Amino acid sequence: MLGKIKAKSAHNDSLRMLMGKYGIGIVLLIMMVVIGIMEPAFATSNNFINVATQVAINGMISYGMCLAITTGGIDLAVGAQLALTSCVLGVTITNSGMNVWVSCFIALLVATLFGLLNGVLIAKFNMFPFVVTLSTQLIIRGLSQVISGGKAISLTSDVFKNIYSGKFLGMPIPIVILIIITIIMYLLLHWTKFGRYVFAVGGNVNAAIASGVSEFWTKVGVYTVSGFLAGVAAIIFTAKTGSAQSNIGIGYETDAVAACVLGGTSFAGGIATIPGVLMGIFIIGFIYNGMNLIGVSSYYQSIVKGCVIIGAVLLDMVMNKRNR
Amino acid sequence: MIIMMKKVLAIALAMTMTFGLVACGNSKTEPATPAETTTEETTTEEATTEETTTEETTAEEATQQAAAGADVNGDGKVIVGYISKNLTDPFHAPINEYAEKTLNQMKSDGTIDDWTGILDGETDPNKQIDRADECITKGCDAVIILPAESEASDPAVTKLADAGINVIVVNSKTVSTDERAIAYCGSNDVEAGKMLGEWVVKNVPDGGKYIHCTGILGNSAQIDRGQGIAEVMSAHPEFELVGEPDTQWSGDKAANATTDAIAQYGDELVAVICDNDDMSSAAQRAANDAGRSDIVCVGVDGNQNPLQMVKDGDLGATVLQDGVGQVAAGIDVITALINGEEFDSAPVIPFVLVTKDNVDEYLN
Amino acid sequence: MLEKNTDGKNEYILQCEGISKAFGGTQALKDVQLHVKPGEVHALMGENGAGKSTLMKIVIGLHKQDKGTITFEGKPYQVKGPVDAINAGIAMIHQELNPEPHLSIADSIFLKREDTVGKFFLNKKKQNERAGEILKQFNFPYGPKTLIKELTLAQVQMVEIIKAVSSDARMIIMDEPTSSLDSEETDHLFRVIRELKAKGVAIIYISHRMDEIFQICDTVSVFRDGMFITSAPLAQISRDELISKMVGRKVENVFPKVDCKIGDVVFKAENLCGKGFKDISFEVHAGEILGLSGLVGSGRSETMRAIFGLDPITSGKMYLEGKEIKNKNPRSAINKGICMVNEDRKNFGLCLLRSLRENISLPNLPKKQRGILINQRREIKECEEVAKQLTVKAASIEHEAFSLSGGNQQKVVIAKWIMANPKLLILDEPTRGVDVGAKSEIHSLMCQFAAKGMAIIMISSELPEIMGMSDRILIYHEGSINGEVTRAEILDSTATEEVILAKAFGGK
Repeated sequence: MLGKIKAKSAHNDSLRMLMGKYGIGIVLLIMMVVIGIMEPAFATSNNFINVATQVAINGMISYGMCLAITTGGIDLAVGAQLALTSCVLGVTITNSGMNVWVSCFIALLVATLFGLLNGVLIAKFNMFPFVVTLSTQLIIRGLSQVISGGKAISLTSDVFKNIYSGKFLGMPIPIVILIIITIIMYLLLHWTKFGRYVFAVGGNVNAAIASGVSEFWTKVGVYTVSGFLAGVAAIIFTAKTGSAQSNIGIGYETDAVAACVLGGTSFAGGIATIPGVLMGIFIIGFIYNGMNLIGVSSYYQSIVKGCVIIGAVLLDMVMNKRNR
Repeated sequence: MIIMMKKVLAIALAMTMTFGLVACGNSKTEPATPAETTTEETTTEEATTEETTTEETTAEEATQQAAAGADVNGDGKVIVGYISKNLTDPFHAPINEYAEKTLNQMKSDGTIDDWTGILDGETDPNKQIDRADECITKGCDAVIILPAESEASDPAVTKLADAGINVIVVNSKTVSTDERAIAYCGSNDVEAGKMLGEWVVKNVPDGGKYIHCTGILGNSAQIDRGQGIAEVMSAHPEFELVGEPDTQWSGDKAANATTDAIAQYGDELVAVICDNDDMSSAAQRAANDAGRSDIVCVGVDGNQNPLQMVKDGDLGATVLQDGVGQVAAGIDVITALINGEEFDSAPVIPFVLVTKDNVDEYLN
Repeated sequence: MLEKNTDGKNEYILQCEGISKAFGGTQALKDVQLHVKPGEVHALMGENGAGKSTLMKIVIGLHKQDKGTITFEGKPYQVKGPVDAINAGIAMIHQELNPEPHLSIADSIFLKREDTVGKFFLNKKKQNERAGEILKQFNFPYGPKTLIKELTLAQVQMVEIIKAVSSDARMIIMDEPTSSLDSEETDHLFRVIRELKAKGVAIIYISHRMDEIFQICDTVSVFRDGMFITSAPLAQISRDELISKMVGRKVENVFPKVDCKIGDVVFKAENLCGKGFKDISFEVHAGEILGLSGLVGSGRSETMRAIFGLDPITSGKMYLEGKEIKNKNPRSAINKGICMVNEDRKNFGLCLLRSLRENISLPNLPKKQRGILINQRREIKECEEVAKQLTVKAASIEHEAFSLSGGNQQKVVIAKWIMANPKLLILDEPTRGVDVGAKSEIHSLMCQFAAKGMAIIMISSELPEIMGMSDRILIYHEGSINGEVTRAEILDSTATEEVILAKAFGGK
């Protein structure tokens, strides 16, 4: 039974599923073509490298957000995590004169620990992720103000600034980080036990538990990874601006959520793909970059951004409906 | 399959139209500006600028010659970039409006070939650096930037300067502005802070307790204004600082802080000094509502709402930061570059104490 | 096929003619017809996926037919959705009820047609009075202000029926109405159906339970693979004929129970206590199918959930192959070789949005690792094998679980546990909502597993099933075991349905 039908419709099927999963890629392509025609400066390798470098920060956050949304939650603390990590970097490198790499390690550790805290609060006490992360982001931002004294700490270390401006094999390091994290996240979500558990917990938590999945460790894992990725984003951010301060990252969760939604991540939980989210990240990046290059007045940009997100999500839904 | 493709095409078309419409909408607004107003304003600004340049200039020469005209990248076109701090603050709205009007005017009369439109910095250094990238891609020759942060927005300035672009920093400095920008057009926030302190000292001769509502901690304006306030107030021991609530530039938060302080200190509270006048006007309103119109509230910026309150007699005074004057000075630098004229690399646009007597000059 | 009256039109309340419907490439309905008379109970039968539900969804406006016409009460009928259908006089009681738990009975009955003062404000008082009267007519034991969440599933269903009747429905569609009712509740439902019938209400009755069909229905229409097969008064058709029409072949043996060699004790429970059960002791052997019978809520499922680690055990001991074990959570049960197919497939069985492959391998992933990554090639191969072994009908194991019919979904649930190769397999209502064909396939599979030396515990509310399949039956009554019958006793008819029922109701 299985074999016969499969042979007949395998080709058609896989194409349809691909379209359903990555239909958003079409939106991305159309955007690139349209912007490229309207502004030749857009379709230059330099500009693409620019955009890829720019989206690295939102990329890190979006991947973490994608995990949280896939388990049916959300991580609103990422913006504050950015600030705290940045301040830890400032305090350790500038004020204490620590080695840059040791300091990065400490900063990532702090971010990861706060992710863990979010996860434990959410999973252990079964609190709503929205409420937990809404509260912890206040705590985290408060802490970052405490350790930085509310002041901007200047980071002059060239080694550290090189994390943003340096190149590896001719590629800016943020892009290298984006590629590495994308591969890791792809493997994590689609090729490991943990990834399957994330989908299962998000898709149907009771069935997951009845299949022997630990809801607790899955959720803890998700928010810990999200914290870690926010830490990576903060390192890129701080190396980019050369300054550690507690007021950064406000509202960054919205762009991350937008990228996830564009990438086909379902708010009902249980559905997400890393390639989809990556495309979402680039769509957000191209919206900013493309409209600025075309010279669309900034007053209209938010409107266009909103329309593109709604349009893309609608398109995705229409395609998925046809699949089902 | 075919139906699906059709739908894709339809949506693509819709999106293209959205982009197209918005772009058209933008270009249509261009020729609408009358020439007179712009030139008039710029000249008055120049006049004030010259009077006050003596205050402080950098180690750099006070004037400099535009090297090879304005077209630095040699593409035969003069393109101007404009990176705003944000599009939402009432303080920045008239600045952006003025810049848009003036630059559109310059484009239509051929002074410049093109400009980027107002790029939204979202009060975020990260976004400002991204916008700087786009200015470079677009082939800008001169870029006006209103930095969000003194430290963190600096890479935007250095990046543009590294690309050989003439950078004009407006409103507040970044750390390497003095070395890398060709001009800085701003005001001195420490002075503004001092003016706030002096106003309070003058109006409450007996002294008493006061609170200081701060901007978002770490913003250079917050730091400098706070410094100016502290300089004045520390010289007057009859005043006691009883609180520095973190009110984050927000009027609503300042109003709450004021109500709390009135509840806590009662008649001993005599003044609320705020880092901006959105906060001071909200604080004054809260005080008035509590029957304490005697409390002196004062802040910096000169937004329309506080000005109206000054006119109505609800607010004693506000310290106006002449943002439009600052950006006008910045655009003058570009004009000078194009014309190959000399220009002042550090015009200081003074703050103005606005009271009932002179409020009509600034209220639209 | 039914003879048509010469003057035609007025004899039928609902006439569907030549209805076709395709979803994507699948032809769900092909030129089908349905004729329902007023005041008759019309059974709709067919395996899952035969097209019954699709046709009903077209009737209540959830889908639109590609071709064909529907006539209701002599007039052309076309509705945009369920609310529209109710206004036209057709209501549907769904198999899976999902009422809003925080509404009162009155609110629920008048949902979407509330009594209002002016345009916006609800007139609660009048609404409650009206609801009270209607409830009294139906002898419903609760007042209108009772919240839905305080009712049992059977009572909620009754509220749905009351709601339908009170909105002047002339036709009510009931989809598997008895699937979660015990026999007493079923009897009550049948009384209500007969009353409705007397009032001239037509009822379309969808069920897989042959006994019920013959007990309550007048006419039956049979569907198979999206096609209309036949329609006949039930008095003129035998049970076997009906089954063979549905599956298109003769089902030789209803219960394919094979006697296997019964081996050593695999699992032993000693004085287990927990929420809903107390003092439960039993043994189950390798190769044995142990049936658990009793009323819904008598503690059967609760005991098994606790053994599987889903709910806590307050006292008592468990032994697996002679060693004492404790299951803190399902993971530890699975690791030890105890697996459970839950009665609530939608909530505890499958992640419906994920693919069959992911569902099947979910509990077995720790064994499929290559380093930290999953060996996907091996995973696909093994999942395809087990899906084939269990004759899961799906185009590909990459399809999402929700695209399958109930019977196939159940096979997927069983597949994931078979892959885990358990020592003890607990099946809670394994054939609920499963069509006849799949049902007997599942029964054969159980025998195969038992033959391999697996110990099996099966909970079932269907007496014929449990008597036909079990080597031994434990009968629950109010949280404890109230008697045991063996296969030998069933075969020599010393233990009849009556005996088991009596024990289930607390008799000796």
